[in-house]
Amino acid sequence: MLRSLAAFLLLSTAAVADTADGEALKGLTWDQVVEQARGGTVNWFMWGGADNINQYVSDHIGGILKRDHGITLNRIGVADAVEVVNIVLSEKEAGVTDAGTVDLIWINGENFRSMKQADLAFCGYTDLLPNNLLVNWDNPAISNDFGVPVDGCEVPWNTVQFAFAHDSAVLPEPPRSMADLLDWIKANPGQFTYPAPPDFTGSVFVRHVFYHAAGGADALLGPFDQARFDDAAAKTWAILNEIEPFLWREGQTYPNTIVQMNELFANGEVAFTFNYDPAQFGLAVQAGIYPESTRSFGLTDGTIGNTNYTLIPFNSPNKAAAMVVQNLLLSGEAQLEKAKPEVWGASPAIEISRTAADVQAGFAAIEGHASVVSAEELAKAALPELQADWLTAIEAGWKANVGN
Amino acid sequence: MTLTKRTRIILLLAPALVLLGGLFFSALGLGLLRSLRYMPSIGLSEPDLAAYIAVLSSPGFLASLGLSLWIAGASTLISVMIALGAALLLRQTFPGRQFIAFLFQLNLTIPHIVGAIGILYLFSQSGAFARLAFAGGLIGRPGDFPALVHDPFAIGIILQYVWKEVPFIGLILLANMQAIGEDHESTARSLGATRWQAFVHVLLPMLMPGLVAASALVFAFAFGAYEIPLILGASAPEALPVLAYRSYTDVDLAARPEAMAMAMIIALLGGAMVLVYARFTRPAGRGRNAR
Amino acid sequence: MRADVFRLIAGITLALWLVLPLVPLAIWSFAHGWRFPDILPRDWSLKAWAYAFSPTSGVVGSLGLTLFIAAATTVLAALVGVPAGRALGLHAFRGKAIVTLVLLAPAIVPGIAVALGLHGVFLRLGLTGTVSGVILAHLIPVIPYMTLIMASVFSSFDTTYEDQARSLGARPHQVFIHVTLPAILPGLMIGALFAFLVSWSQYLLTLSIGGGRVQTLPLTLFTFASSGRNDVTGAIAMIYILPGLLVLLLTARHLTGRNAALTPRVAP
Repeated sequence: MLRSLAAFLLLSTAAVADTADGEALKGLTWDQVVEQARGGTVNWFMWGGADNINQYVSDHIGGILKRDHGITLNRIGVADAVEVVNIVLSEKEAGVTDAGTVDLIWINGENFRSMKQADLAFCGYTDLLPNNLLVNWDNPAISNDFGVPVDGCEVPWNTVQFAFAHDSAVLPEPPRSMADLLDWIKANPGQFTYPAPPDFTGSVFVRHVFYHAAGGADALLGPFDQARFDDAAAKTWAILNEIEPFLWREGQTYPNTIVQMNELFANGEVAFTFNYDPAQFGLAVQAGIYPESTRSFGLTDGTIGNTNYTLIPFNSPNKAAAMVVQNLLLSGEAQLEKAKPEVWGASPAIEISRTAADVQAGFAAIEGHASVVSAEELAKAALPELQADWLTAIEAGWKANVGN
Repeated sequence: MTLTKRTRIILLLAPALVLLGGLFFSALGLGLLRSLRYMPSIGLSEPDLAAYIAVLSSPGFLASLGLSLWIAGASTLISVMIALGAALLLRQTFPGRQFIAFLFQLNLTIPHIVGAIGILYLFSQSGAFARLAFAGGLIGRPGDFPALVHDPFAIGIILQYVWKEVPFIGLILLANMQAIGEDHESTARSLGATRWQAFVHVLLPMLMPGLVAASALVFAFAFGAYEIPLILGASAPEALPVLAYRSYTDVDLAARPEAMAMAMIIALLGGAMVLVYARFTRPAGRGRNAR
Repeated sequence: MRADVFRLIAGITLALWLVLPLVPLAIWSFAHGWRFPDILPRDWSLKAWAYAFSPTSGVVGSLGLTLFIAAATTVLAALVGVPAGRALGLHAFRGKAIVTLVLLAPAIVPGIAVALGLHGVFLRLGLTGTVSGVILAHLIPVIPYMTLIMASVFSSFDTTYEDQARSLGARPHQVFIHVTLPAILPGLMIGALFAFLVSWSQYLLTLSIGGGRVQTLPLTLFTFASSGRNDVTGAIAMIYILPGLLVLLLTARHLTGRNAALTPRVAP
């Protein structure tokens, strides 16, 4: 009964072009891949909470795909990329190897590590994409995703670097180094907080304190080292516990998510918010959420940068079409479009110097949003991201020693 | 005759029972097997209680269980009290009664998730009430306003359930009161009982079965709902359904049997509420309310 | 007189409390920023509504999909719930108490307890991520409501009219259409209203079984609520409560009066 009913209801969801066999695709030329991709549908799962980004993806990218390649781009908004990792994981567990629901994911960091460790990613095809030539794979910040080698399992999309935001009308001269910030917090009780790790953004703030306590990032790079961790961690928890009584709600509770903290900042409850993607500040000002007088800045001792990527799951039935999407996202024109502050303001993941002259001119002509500190400014003091094992240890340690 | 009648009854019931059996009971069954770590496909063919032992001895689980019991208990109790008052009020005639009755029914149609976001915008420390308090000079800044959402006592979550369940229980009580009529109370009054005595000793006992049955529904729902604590809850401890779903969606597959064990514990409590409900309502042939 | 004043005040408080949570949602949907301590937004804007109705946001498609799922769930539930309700309402039989419990349990046992196991079952059937899978999942809490409401309707249904029609030579489907259906229609409407609303409000079953592929309105709403776009959240919330309101107004005729089948006749 159930099965026949199911079979009946399933008739409406038959697949069109099936390019689940990734190994076969790797043997083709790019033109053949594009031909196979024609008429396909790409289910792209991505964080869906920013209307500008949604519009860029659905309208701009989706429009080009439809017009030039006959590909339908189906953007699926999710609240957190970990949900998508779980979908693919469940499918693999249930033996769904060639008819997965996910064709493309916007991803990085711990989620990438999870997918790579569980063999959930389609790998080793990126050389096929013509626009792969625009990517500087010699840059370790591109070829490693939070310390995990990319190994051709994902394609870079944006580069970001952590920055703080403040309201210049309220606080004209914010502290510019971690030491000054810690002093400021103690001098201004109740006006600072950070989201409780494992929130993505709260976790990266704690890592900045961790670097500060360790006297810089150099000693922390490479594989996890318990002795070096213990040394830096003890100092970090001491610092964070010392400032705790001076935090919002006396540090008795922390915001659950970066969004809750953004609300606190928008309503003037705290003096700072921060983000891994400073373009978000500009988008929030455009949406009226933050005041026009919002400004952003990095720290003189540096802020952490990373790259985010798109990834094709091993069981995607539309791999060819997903590859065409990735290639389009890497193109100079598409990267230029999303770099415009009114579109998104995202920093490119490609080498601008390798693009066509008119694209280079386009990048040169971009005037950043007044609220968004420029990538060049931030890049003057950039810190690398730690390997994922360090992150896990820091997050667990925070919970045990600070957030209890 | 009896044979054909019996066949007829079976045929009438079969589609519903087969569908629910195929969906609900197979899902519970699979959940039970997995919570016992019985998954032959990955080599686990010896069922054991390891997941239950791990769950029941974890302080995180016990804190979540305690929180969810508190949420469900407090929400049910407060909702029942206000709903009783509201039903007694709506039984009377006064201007605007029809309008409030309409609002009660309207409230039934509003999804919980909308109510939860509305409560969040009303009661957060920079929400509507905090702004009114600021305008009235009661607070100097948002931090002075009491923490009513994302708070350790789950006040925001309870407020949402009270908002949603008062009309639900209220409508059930109102219908019961209409069915009971006012004759019994009038008799008691004529024998010298005060209004209060007539209510406590005559009306309330007659309402009790309906009240207990409705409470069982509300308790089970408030205990097991996911999206409301997700929106209004504090970072720790999490409500049990949030903890269970997060364990299930953990990228570490080893956490899944524990998630299933939590689901089974929630199902067990839900099953107890089914029995309470059935105990206090007449068996089939009588209608039941919906939420 | 004092009692009257008290009633009025209590009534107004109650009415305010019922409406209050919807007010900030409605205001946010027209706000361009709305920061503490402003009682009302300084700048008003229609951009949240414009975005909600733009093809990009997918809200309109989501609305259609949510309506379709709720309608399909309701129809399927009626197809199995009306016969089952007839059996329970009209007949006494051995095992009736057990059957009632079995039909009741899925409505009371929380969805989270079922969702995780159901996900495992549907993965193997290839039903995760499909609209059909989500409809089947929604049937779990919906069939009980439909069945038990129909049982209540049939318990006061007089079968002699059917017998008369049959004795006058009407065929079974004619009896159903011309005699049974008109008699049970008001109750069926109530059952349909609840079935529709239960499906319409589902979040967890849709999230777990649909896996994001089946984007119903509550999922879209949650995505925006959890990303701090209160204006878009407000607009989607307003759109989300509208159909329920319309359905209520359409069935209001059956709901009011003696609260016909809505009345849970739990007391003698």
